[in-house]
Amino acid sequence: MASTTFISSFFSSPTITTTTTRRTQNNQTSLLLSKPNNPNSLSSSVSTNSNQRLAFSSLVPKLSDTIEAPEAAAEVDSTEVTTLVEEEEIPIEESAPKGDGLFAVVMIGSRQYIVFPGRFLTTQRLKGANVNDKIILNKVLLVGTKTSAYIGKPIVPNAAVHAVVEDNGLNDKVVVFKYKKKKNYRRNIGHRQPNTRIRILGITGYQDSPVVTLDDLPVAAAVEA
Amino acid sequence: MNKKKILELAKGFRGRAKNCIRIARERVEKALQYSYRDRRNKKRDMRSLWIERINAGTRIHGVNYGNFMHGLLKENIQLNRKVLSELSMHEPYSFKSLVDVSRQSFPGNKKVVIPPRKEGLSMLV
Repeated sequence: MASTTFISSFFSSPTITTTTTRRTQNNQTSLLLSKPNNPNSLSSSVSTNSNQRLAFSSLVPKLSDTIEAPEAAAEVDSTEVTTLVEEEEIPIEESAPKGDGLFAVVMIGSRQYIVFPGRFLTTQRLKGANVNDKIILNKVLLVGTKTSAYIGKPIVPNAAVHAVVEDNGLNDKVVVFKYKKKKNYRRNIGHRQPNTRIRILGITGYQDSPVVTLDDLPVAAAVEA
Repeated sequence: MNKKKILELAKGFRGRAKNCIRIARERVEKALQYSYRDRRNKKRDMRSLWIERINAGTRIHGVNYGNFMHGLLKENIQLNRKVLSELSMHEPYSFKSLVDVSRQSFPGNKKVVIPPRKEGLSMLV
């Protein structure tokens, strides 16, 4: 419960509101009231508080790019993989060779995605992100490994997902056809939503946050072995 | 050109609606209206599908969907239903830890939902 004190400050800072999900905005006031402060966890949470404040004061994504240095106010914060893969799953039948079993849940453009390192992901167009820009996604809601899960309340403190912008493109065309019968009203509009493809490089910074170690740890270890 | 486009959109339609322009035009207009409406319906349908899946996943661990979501809200965990349903399918251990966190925060009703015990012949299944 080290992150409870953190949460009250998280929602009081004004910068958060633009990128939080709808649900969080509804629950903001109620959460402020319902979170008790844990005096035991104060020492650890104070540091996370300050870290988090700094991370969120810059708000929207930090673009640490090697090529250029724009101060883009891009909305890239966290986007995640679209592909549902069972790579991370601890194998119940031991034949499946998995990677690290590392995954994260990231929020980008107010949508949440499950991200695996090495895979790519298509998200809303990130303003100010050019091809081959390195991007750090800060809003990591959950990090899971083979043996444990780091659950963020609401985010995992100091966790970051590193990604590279691969491509800025457009979605497939959607035909928006509006028609009212007997009123001679029809509108035919085509629409292509801009998107950005991002390749995930890695997930860092989650090691020292509160862990929920899975109970079936010995089972998992035995299965993996 | 418009005729050509309409007949392209009318591929797969039944009977003369795929071949004859006068009928195809009506059917294509209807199809486009349905797609406009259903782009909005799809969001609702997906959400209810996710909720069903989360419900199934949590009942395995003895918690129902309502108590589970309430516990998550109390804990300020902001994972949305899409991600929760995917976790419940593909990441069973992480999902179980989420269920434990939620149950700790909100114990819920005294009557815990127990997975149905198999009796009789269904025990063999």
